[in-house]
Amino acid sequence: MIEINKVSKWYGSFQVLTDCTTQIAKGEVVVVCGPSGSGKSTLIKCVNGLEPIQQGNIAVNGTAINDPKTDLPKLRARVGMVFQHFELFPHMSIIKNLSIGQVKVLGRSEDEAHAKGMKLLERVGLKAHANKYPGEMSGGQQQRVAIARALSMDPICMLFDEPTSALDPEMINEVLDVMVELAHEGMTMMVVTHEMGFARKVANRVVFMDQGKIVEDAAKEEFFGQPRSERAQQFLSKILHH
Amino acid sequence: MFSNFDFGVIPLSLPFIWQGLLYSLKLTATAMTGGIILGTLLALARLSGGVVLGTISTFYVNTLRSIPLLMVILWFFFLIPIFTGSPMGAEKSAMITFTLFEAAFYAEIMRAGIQSVSRGQINAGYAIGMTYWQTMGHVILPQAFRNMLPVLLTQTIILFQDTSLVYAIGAKDLLKAAEITGKNYNRPVEMYIFSAVVYFAICFSLSMLVKHLNKRIAIIR
Repeated sequence: MIEINKVSKWYGSFQVLTDCTTQIAKGEVVVVCGPSGSGKSTLIKCVNGLEPIQQGNIAVNGTAINDPKTDLPKLRARVGMVFQHFELFPHMSIIKNLSIGQVKVLGRSEDEAHAKGMKLLERVGLKAHANKYPGEMSGGQQQRVAIARALSMDPICMLFDEPTSALDPEMINEVLDVMVELAHEGMTMMVVTHEMGFARKVANRVVFMDQGKIVEDAAKEEFFGQPRSERAQQFLSKILHH
Repeated sequence: MFSNFDFGVIPLSLPFIWQGLLYSLKLTATAMTGGIILGTLLALARLSGGVVLGTISTFYVNTLRSIPLLMVILWFFFLIPIFTGSPMGAEKSAMITFTLFEAAFYAEIMRAGIQSVSRGQINAGYAIGMTYWQTMGHVILPQAFRNMLPVLLTQTIILFQDTSLVYAIGAKDLLKAAEITGKNYNRPVEMYIFSAVVYFAICFSLSMLVKHLNKRIAIIR
């Protein structure tokens, strides 16, 4: 579904990604973790072309992201993305947030988009809030709406860029619950997160990054059991033993 | 000192003054609408990162902001007939000049407004498959416009005051109408005072509106 092949990226002369290679198969859940500044958020933004890459190639469902002939908006419409800071549109009501993409990008009718939006809101437990504005909701609620917005486009896979790191601790679980449910339904997911509990519960594989490189790419059991690289061992011992 | 004044001239001149005021308002509305549209395009060009578009836009904005408005009004009025062969008329000439001139100022306001919207919002628009223009039109510009509304209105108040400069090329705005009637009735001072009161009343009400908007936007944030 997602193929990342020898990807390198520079900001000016600073190299943020070096030779990153990994694949995510259909229905697979892959957690990307690593210390701050390791390039994991940059890598996930490259997958749907929000960040350009200078070397290597990325393909989603067989379509090359960095091919100038690719219709990026069309491809992105099928790739759901959830951001660290939610990024709901603050000047639109919740239901409008869920319908605008369907109407403007997919060409659905207002009624159809509205119905679908309400169904998704019900699914994330926020049906009663349809006419509120994002500013009137808690972070956890906003992030659940953001997931619903991504789902409203009927995505073939979902990208999560640190979806819980801007949330109050007590709101993290309500968002993770929605994500776990999605994973159980067979959604293909690439998740940048520090939530190791989530990784243990639903990930098929864990990708560990450090200094712009993929240091470890292993099945979940292997990663949590005995990571091969020293760097990943250090990282795990630091975040798991508290 | 007002004993020599005869304000009876004001009701007599009202129909003529009204015509002048209408033109001033029309000029302001045209320059505001056209200026904001053109200014927004200039701001987008400047923020596009493209070398050619960016340079042209920056040059346009910086040049017009460095020339006194009165000079632009005069130059445009006298230059256009040289190129087109026929004069275009003071009223029409002023409309175009003001639109082009104000665009440079609105451009800087809209640029600040667009930059006040977080980069993440652009990504969010792109991520659900919107094109550049869809993201700008539905996501970024509405927020930029809302954030900048008080500043845009303040600029429009300045614009309304500046429209009085068209009297230099003989366009019949509020000030020119007051001057003409003042001369006709031989009561220039009374008419200048009256036009000043009209300018004041309009600008002051708009300032109050700006103040109110600032409070409301502060609440939304």
